Amino acid sequence: MNLILIATIAALVIPMYEAAQDNDIWQKMLAFSSIATKASIVILIVSVLRDDWMIGVVGVIILSVGNAALMLLAQILKRLNEL
Amino acid sequence: MCWPTVRVVEVTVNDSYLYAIILLMPLTAFMVIFQANPYHALVIRGILGAVSALVYAVLGAADVALTEALVGTMLAITLYAIAVRSSLVLRLGILREDEPEAENLDLKRLIADLHSITSKKHLRLELVPYEDRHALQQALWKKEIHATCSRLCQPEEARYETTIRVEYLYEILKTELSSPITSLSYLNLPTLEEKH
Repeated sequence: MNLILIATIAALVIPMYEAAQDNDIWQKMLAFSSIATKASIVILIVSVLRDDWMIGVVGVIILSVGNAALMLLAQILKRLNEL
Repeated sequence: MCWPTVRVVEVTVNDSYLYAIILLMPLTAFMVIFQANPYHALVIRGILGAVSALVYAVLGAADVALTEALVGTMLAITLYAIAVRSSLVLRLGILREDEPEAENLDLKRLIADLHSITSKKHLRLELVPYEDRHALQQALWKKEIHATCSRLCQPEEARYETTIRVEYLYEILKTELSSPITSLSYLNLPTLEEKH
């Protein structure tokens, strides 16, 4: 199980590198969504490993809030490019 | 004497992945610092929010993680995006008859030049059309727009004149704009304190 966790953390670094070096804002948004999802998955794995419900609930909420923030930000950025 | 010991998290051999997770936080923080474009920095701030929520949750502070995710990631970024969008802008007033259409190549080229300069400074160029010269002047005086661009009555070598009321925008355009189509001038408007 620890191995899966380490692999997920390693996968978390890939979109981070992508966000750091790409100049297109939509690529950065993609990286953001990827990282937000992976972070909440890692939280869920940790909560299962530790048998801790409290952390698990936080993971679920972050999973949904991360996507909501992404939607709001994407809407504003889209309007920005239209003007 | 016995010192009080504060144990936040007990790191055992099995929890060695904690170090890897915690290392991600300064990494993303540096990414935010070295980002020049404000919009890109906002997206990376979202990434930092997600990563720090992960760190807080893994270290056992579920409430802090929840606050970071709700406020730090969602609310702060959305509000900052709106703030940056409305403040990093150059509002250029033009006459409706001059609007950049296919036949008006001069103004089109001028606006393309302005656009390339403002995008270099991460500014947005917003064109605000007005009906006549009087309304254009009034808008500049009332500080609805930052600059006006209108056709000269007696065209010499420069066919347009651009009047800017914001000093630092004038400084930027004076050094960067090399177009012979327009003449640049700075208009020093009285501030509110001086008026009263």
